[in-house]
Amino acid sequence: MSLNDCYNFEDFRKLAKKKLPAPIFHYIDGGADDETTLKRNTESFLKCDLVPNILASVGEPDLSTSVFGQKIDMPIFLSPTAMQRLYHYDGDKASARAAEKFGTFYSMSTMATSSIEEIANISGGPKLFQLYIHKDQGLTDNLIERCKNSGFKAMCLTVDTVVAGNRERDHRWGFTTPPKLTLKSILSFAMHPKWAYNYFTHEKFELANVSHWTKKGSSIAKGVMEYINEQYDPAMSWKDAEYVVKKWGGPFALKGVMSVEDAKRAVDIGASAIMLSNHGGRQLDGSRSPFDQLPAIADAVGGKIEIILDGGIRRGTHVLKALSLGATACSFGKAFLFALGAGGQKGVEQILKRMRDEIKRDMILLGCKSIKELNKTKIAYR
Amino acid sequence: MRLKDCHNFNDFRTLAKKKLPSPIFHYIDGAADDEVTYKRNTSAFNDVDLVPNVLRGVEKVDLSTTIFGQKLDLPFYCSPTALQRLFHYQGERAVGKAAQKFNTMFGVSSLATVSAEEISSLVSTPKLFQFYYHKDKGLNDAILERAKAAKFDVMALTVDTITGGNRERDLRTGFTSPPKLTLESLISFAIKPMWGINYVTRGKFELPHLQDHVKEGTSTATSVGNYFSTMLDQSMNWKDAENLCAKWGGHFALKGIMSVEDAKRAVDIGCTGIMVSNHGGRQLDGARSPFDQLAEIVDAVGDKIDVICEGGIQRGTHILKALSIGAKACAGGRLYLYALAAAGQIGVEKALGQLRTELERDMKLMGCTKISELSRKNLRFRNA
Ligand SMILES: Cc1cc2nc3c(=O)[nH]c(=O)nc-3n(C[C@H](O)[C@H](O)[C@H](O)COP(=O)(O)O)c2cc1C
Ligand SMILES: Cc1cc2nc3c(=O)[nH]c(=O)nc-3n(C[C@H](O)[C@H](O)[C@H](O)COP(=O)(O)O)c2cc1C
Repeated sequence: MSLNDCYNFEDFRKLAKKKLPAPIFHYIDGGADDETTLKRNTESFLKCDLVPNILASVGEPDLSTSVFGQKIDMPIFLSPTAMQRLYHYDGDKASARAAEKFGTFYSMSTMATSSIEEIANISGGPKLFQLYIHKDQGLTDNLIERCKNSGFKAMCLTVDTVVAGNRERDHRWGFTTPPKLTLKSILSFAMHPKWAYNYFTHEKFELANVSHWTKKGSSIAKGVMEYINEQYDPAMSWKDAEYVVKKWGGPFALKGVMSVEDAKRAVDIGASAIMLSNHGGRQLDGSRSPFDQLPAIADAVGGKIEIILDGGIRRGTHVLKALSLGATACSFGKAFLFALGAGGQKGVEQILKRMRDEIKRDMILLGCKSIKELNKTKIAYR
Repeated sequence: MRLKDCHNFNDFRTLAKKKLPSPIFHYIDGAADDEVTYKRNTSAFNDVDLVPNVLRGVEKVDLSTTIFGQKLDLPFYCSPTALQRLFHYQGERAVGKAAQKFNTMFGVSSLATVSAEEISSLVSTPKLFQFYYHKDKGLNDAILERAKAAKFDVMALTVDTITGGNRERDLRTGFTSPPKLTLESLISFAIKPMWGINYVTRGKFELPHLQDHVKEGTSTATSVGNYFSTMLDQSMNWKDAENLCAKWGGHFALKGIMSVEDAKRAVDIGCTGIMVSNHGGRQLDGARSPFDQLAEIVDAVGDKIDVICEGGIQRGTHILKALSIGAKACAGGRLYLYALAAAGQIGVEKALGQLRTELERDMKLMGCTKISELSRKNLRFRNA
């Protein structure tokens, strides 16, 4: 199996599974507790159907849309994800370059393995920075300042991670960063020599944005859950979010908003967007899926704030359904991470291309010339 | 697989299965008829989703709740279950001491294998005595007196076992108590020698609450279903429950209430709580799940008595959902029984500890710091 054989999410996932040591594959693939929310995130798209209009002389549909004050060429972008160097030695560089080629946002996690400055140097495409509020306020200010200086276009604050989710696959596989070797994991690393060779012969693994601030960001083997519980501030409040909005002063999203009440409050504190998300099912299991919750959110704050649907997206039709129900744009994590694991920058380009082709084809089949034409009339519930 | 590899309910179950002779495992694991209700008890929780609130400042979470006038550190407790020394030689002693460590309530079955007096001397935290209403009124009075003398805080009369449920796994494995050996079960006992050694060497198996009164309480092998059908009083009615409640004179609950009508009646006869329960799916298959029925019951009597949601709980989020609907607390059997079988007291402690950790984490992720902050506003039903 090679990249060219990857037509869809499942294919990329399979190839990534072949290429990655098991602890790392399961870190990407797993969710919290029983993974019911993880499954529901994707299943929820199946509860409604698309209703096409025919003979609409669509021609070449226009997939572009605008989010965070930026025109992007396709209505989906890369969600921020931690530690991309574990999935491929090029890590964030690969994703950022691929996103730039496709004219869409690349997002950088606070826990990225490349620094803000490094990525700014190699990519002129639109970039979003994802902020975690650490207990140490100085680090927050430092990150915001650096993003400003490096030309990041937008910022999001993740609010669904005050405590680490219960990812049992990570317990079982002993997943830590950098990878710590247990008997079971050594076997798996040994069976993936190419990954190990690349990992050890390329630059040193570190959490490039925070390593100068906390020694936990460098080479001490720490479970991600432990890191979150030690470093992130569980007392984080609306005041802190407001502080970040002001300090940043540009396009800003709260990532991980689910309730209508919180969505309204995001408008009040001056956020320009919310990312409707449950962190890809990795945090609170049993939590509602973004797509299930979308209509209520769109009713309450649609038009007042940009709504980004994040979680469960595997297909172009999922994107179209979300846009029809009021999302401004979508973002995805696992899909592009598996592609990254499967083939680095080429892999990410491949999945963005597949996604763009799907959306385009589906728009034509649906009879829509542009994203603006998508609305509730295209959707019928079962 | 070892205890340290047990991260959740299913892991404990897997380990228990490895450790227990199969008739005993299936006695715990099985339920009535096609086990439809048993499955639904857990899957019911998946039809409702949690909708968290963010940015609430959630450093400290208080999980305590008050039921039956007792403040518990956790909003869940160990349901009374029979025959615990069959599952691990420490039996009720292990569960009682583990519950005490977490300052939560512990239920002792009429069919316990350790006496009420001994439990009382070991465990000073809140204790519930589960009452089976026997045909023999002398036995009933004697049990009541013993529970009173042993200073139990709550009496719960089980009302859903008027006759034995059809537990087909027990029929197949020939489960009796104490274990009677059939060829198939003999093989299974033989391949779990540790269980056998502990069982035989750690003190004689008996049912101390019954032994002076009936031969079923002693070493004559009998099936539990048979015990229900022959020993318990099938004519038990509301008047009997009312009398028992009055005679007890303290906090009194009916265990196994499912209909709104019965819940109201429980209030009328002076109960201070009810367990919404179908006996873990072990009695009437096809019965509604406690969680499905919870909202109706809470709406009808939630402001008058303590409503406890019992059955099917495997996760912190399940408890969170039940509390959001309005249950005062949750209770469960299998949530600690597999752990008991897997490793005795430390197993039960690990299971309770993990549930507490889950619940604490889930509260934070929901943006809640106190049980009283949970409400139906946190929930969305899939089809509503
Ligand atoms: C491996 C992995 C790492 C992630 N790291 C972060 C992170 O550092 N910060 C963050 O806000 N979200 C993180 N997320 C969540 C994603 O941003 C996104 O919400 C999620 O992946 C969307 O669901 P999907 O994977 O079904 O598309 C991560 C997700 C994955 C799979
Ligand atoms: C092995 C076993 C023995 C039980 N014994 C009793 C009992 O003696 N008296 C009683 O009222 N309930 C008994 N129950 C029912 C429990 O109190 C409780 O209602 C049930 O286990 C809840 O369902 P769960 O196991 O899904 O949590 C027993 C349950 C099990 C699994």
